This record gives sequence, structure tokens and C-alpha cells, in this order.
Amino acid sequence: MIAQILAAAVILTTPILLAAIGGLVNRQAGIVNIALEAKMLVGAYVAVVVSSVSGSWELAVLAAALAGTLIGWLLGLSITRLGANVIIAGLGLNVLAAGALGFVMAITYGSSGTLRLPDMVLLPRVLPQGVEGLPLVGLALAGLDPLTVLAWATVAALPFLLGSTRIGLWLRATGNAAPVVRAVGLRPALIQDAATAFAGFFAALAGAHLALYSIGIFNEGMTAGRGFIALAAFYFGRNLPWPTAAACLLFGFLDAAQIRMQTLGLPPGLIGALPYVMVLVILVLSQIRSQRSQR
Amino acid sequence: MTGALLRDWAERGTGFALPVVVALAVSAVVLLAIGENPVTTFGLILSESFGSARRIASTLSAATPLLFTAVATAVCFRAGVFNVGVEGAFLIGGLAAVVAGFSLPADLGWALVPLCLTIAAAFGAAWLWLPGWLLARLEVDEVVSTLMLNFIAAAITATLVNGIFLSRQSGNNVTPPVHAAAELSRLMPPATLHSGFLIGLAVLAAYAVWTRHTPAGVEGAWVGLNRRFARVVGVSVPRTIITAMLLSGVVAGLGGAAQGLGQLHRFSDGFSAGYGFTGMAVALLGRNRPVGMLLGAVLFGALASAGTTIQLFSDIPLDLVNIIQGIVMIFAVVELGRFRLGIKPKVQG
Repeated sequence: MIAQILAAAVILTTPILLAAIGGLVNRQAGIVNIALEAKMLVGAYVAVVVSSVSGSWELAVLAAALAGTLIGWLLGLSITRLGANVIIAGLGLNVLAAGALGFVMAITYGSSGTLRLPDMVLLPRVLPQGVEGLPLVGLALAGLDPLTVLAWATVAALPFLLGSTRIGLWLRATGNAAPVVRAVGLRPALIQDAATAFAGFFAALAGAHLALYSIGIFNEGMTAGRGFIALAAFYFGRNLPWPTAAACLLFGFLDAAQIRMQTLGLPPGLIGALPYVMVLVILVLSQIRSQRSQR
Repeated sequence: MTGALLRDWAERGTGFALPVVVALAVSAVVLLAIGENPVTTFGLILSESFGSARRIASTLSAATPLLFTAVATAVCFRAGVFNVGVEGAFLIGGLAAVVAGFSLPADLGWALVPLCLTIAAAFGAAWLWLPGWLLARLEVDEVVSTLMLNFIAAAITATLVNGIFLSRQSGNNVTPPVHAAAELSRLMPPATLHSGFLIGLAVLAAYAVWTRHTPAGVEGAWVGLNRRFARVVGVSVPRTIITAMLLSGVVAGLGGAAQGLGQLHRFSDGFSAGYGFTGMAVALLGRNRPVGMLLGAVLFGALASAGTTIQLFSDIPLDLVNIIQGIVMIFAVVELGRFRLGIKPKVQG
């Protein structure tokens, strides 16, 4: 039973983690990306359609990521070039994306809500299925897919990329002191556009994972607020890769345990709200701590 | 003086028209792409939403919750408080009003409605007091806190509706109906337009008076325009923030009550069709001004009520309304040329 929860938690963590990676890089560059949900949804939809048409999961994931990058870039442009408010533009994009997908789905497939297509190719498993026999972690290892591996590899690489590379420095400088970046001859707007496109790329991968890991269908409600859980995670992890990943894993565990706690008589809705409550508590605690240290 | 006034109105008019025009242009392209005639469709929307007394009534009925959520949003936005938690307060207020409406003794008679409204307002205010206090005292980012509180409100209300407040007769996800005495009266039966619409207008009028003619309202605008200036002239910024949040909660709670007591007569799953977010679009479109918000609420009310009919009689999916709403939100805060549209961008780190 513990092995099963572990395996489920690892897989449920992946979409949250992928989206949170995008969101944390974006926030390091000074933009709170509230539209991760929109790009996840678009990513999931594109992944399902392309997987069915092309019969290739690689193409499906790539197409989803490109779609997410494009939308992220456009969102970035509206913020940096047209001066749109970050929060409102993001919320607007969430509404727009849901509407546009519903519209396209109704027109092209005549279906509302759920899209089920033939010949879906799902994400493969990375390791040979023999590992399943290992105690405790066997199930989790056997369930690993390329996107999960990519997500954790990115988490491992991010501290170096953000901390020790030129691009990482530009990114953090843009978020912390845009005038300084401008003074040394770089363009903060360009860096923010790139960061927002990057967030779109990863959020769309998150959507592709949701759609292509096991079920291979698209549903309008399938992201179920995970874009906001991801937001909660990088606030929780204070934009640092490993703490953010730890928060994602925690939320993934909660998600996996939710079904089991239900049998213990705890209402599922309230457990689903736990990540949000925790973020609120952590935000308050960290503010109290920073105010104390200021005094 | 008149020149400045005229320019102000012209700018407001452009601020309202531009997002709408862009949204209509995009939907026209979308409609052309699926082989529908945009002119016919827009004509149909117009006649379906304003073509007869009954249709006007259903448009105004759909606009009612938006009046409340728009004012609730505007109260905060004009003070520079980025409250996106109106949706949550709407849910909490709505459930509080409905629960009061069926559990208080029915023989309270006429006193039942004001009681329920007061309870809803109190719950709404309490709900948004928390992020207000956290922002004012601890500088906890209000966007994140109110966003999180929306999800928490949805979880709490869904759990209660499926738990202790579940109706024994009707099965899943609904409370029992409120007492007949607690219902807001229908203005033109059989249309669903109810006296909640009048309460909404009263709230809008009160907002107009508050923003212009009360010290607290004027101070709110100062805090929104320039916090440092407000502090220098002796305005308490924390108090202004908390006041804005409390008022927002009161209005959002009343909106939930109007929806519960006037429209649905009970609380059910899907109680709010994203009214908090549409209200945000309305507030942005109307640039926090009473007249603009009234027009915006009627516009979105018309889209919602006509959209349902259009879907029945043609192949145009209802999702078109969401596309329009999203575009309106984005373009209401976009800055084009010399016109500054919407509120200042706020980049956070």
C-alpha cells in the first residue's frame, strides 16, 4: 500500500512540478505568472490532438510545448510592451484559453467537455518493467516516464543555471533590479519575454503529462487548479528550485493520499484545499519572520 | 474646466470602447472562420438580449450578480489593493444567506430578508478582513492570499453543501430551499428578474456617493494613486486597506445573498458561474466608475443571457462568451499609444 501511494504521488507531482518550474523561473525574472493553468490546458489539448493524429508521443509533447511557448511569449509581450497588468492579463488569459478550447472543441469535434480520440499514443515508461519487483520504490520506478525524469533533471540543473550562468544572472537581476540591467546595456523586457515563454513551455509540458500519462483523453476540467497549486508551490518554496520541488512533492502526496483519507471519513474537498491553506500559513509565517529580522 | 471634463469623459469612453471593439473584432473573425455571418450573429445577440421586455428582464437578471462583484472589486482596485478574492466572498456570503434563509424561524416574516442580508454581509466582510489585515499588518501579498482563499471558500462551501446543509429531499449538492418569506420578490414574473437587481443598483449608487463624498472614499483613491503621498498627508494606509477589503466583503456577500435568495432560492454546487472574475472584467472595463460598471454589467449580462439562446438556435458554442470576456480583461489593462487604459502595471518579485 505504501508503495502504491508512493508511485501515485510521484506521478501526480510531475504536472505540478513542471508548471512550478516554469512559474519560478518567471517569478525570478519579476513576473508572477498566474496563467499557468491556461497553458497547461492548451498543452493537454494539443498533446491529445497531435498524439492521435501523428501517432507519436514525442511529436505530441513537442507540439504542446511549442504552443505553450507561443502563448507564454504573447502574454509576455502584452505585459512588457503593452504595459498590461501582470495579474489581470494572466487571469484574462485563463478565461480566454478555456473559452477558446471549448469553442474549438465544439466546432471541430462537436463534443463539449471531454475529447476522446482514437489511436492515442501515451507516454512510454523509461525503465524496464522488471524494476517493479523492487521493494517499496519498485512501483514508482516502473511508472517513471520521460517527462517526470525531465522535470527532476531540470530541478537538479536549475540551481546551477540560475546561480552560475550568465543567463541565470541576467534573469535574477531583471527580477530584482531592472534599472541596473538596463544600465549595463541589456533589455529587461526581452529577458522577461523569454522567461514568460519559458514558463509557457514548461506549463504546457505539465498539461501534456496530465493528458498523455495514462488516460489519453482531454477534459475541460482536467487541470483542476493545478496551475494554481504550482503557484502555491513556488511561493511556498520561495522561488528556490529544491524547496519548490519539495512543496510539489508534498502536494503530490496529498493528492495521492486524498483517495485513501476519504475512506477514513475525511471530506475529500477539504483535503484538496490543504495546499492552499498551507500556502497561506507559510506566507504569514515568513512575513512575520522577515518583519522580526527587520526590527 | 469643461474642456478637462470633456477630455475625461472621452478618455473613459475610449477605455470602455476599445476592449469591447477588440473583443467584437476577434469574435467576428472567429465567426467568419466557422462560416457564420458575424453581423447576423451580433444582431441576434442584440435582439435576444434587448428585443422584448422579457428579454431585457433576463439580461438584467444575469447582470445582477455582476453589479455586486464589480463594485466589490472596484472598491479595492481603486485603493491599489489587488483583491481577486471576490469570488470566495460571494460563495461564503451566498451560503450564509441561504442557510439563514431556511434555518431561521419562518414566522419572522418580513424581517427575514434584512436579517439574511446582514448575515451574508457580515460573513463576506469577515472573509475578506483576513487578507486585508494580513496585507495591512504583515504585508502578505494580497493577490496570492485572496487567490488561495477562493479555493478554500469553494472547498468549504462544497463540503458543507454535501454535509450538514445537504437537503434530504433533493439529493446531491443542494441545500433545502429558503423559506418563501426569505425570497427576494420577482419584479416581473415569470421572468427571474428579482429585487436583488434593485439592491445592486442601490449598492452602485452608494459606491458612487462613497467614492466622491466621504473622507474614507476619497482617501481610498489617494492611497491607490500614490501611497507615499497619502501617508504624508496623514492618511492611515493600513486602515484604508482594511476598510476597502471589509467593504468589498460586504458587497460581495450581499451579491451572494441576492443570488441565493433572489435567483436560486437555495445554495447548490456551481452557485457562482465565475461571477467574481466576470465582475473583475466589468470593473476594469468601467474603470471603477459607477456608470461604466453599470454598462459593463449589462453588457456581460446580455452576452450571458443571449449566449444560451444562441447556442440553442445555431451552431455557435456558448464558449464565445468566455473568449469575449478574456479579451476584454486583457485589453482593459493594455496601454495603447497615449491613452493609459486601466490600472498601473505592478511588477512583483
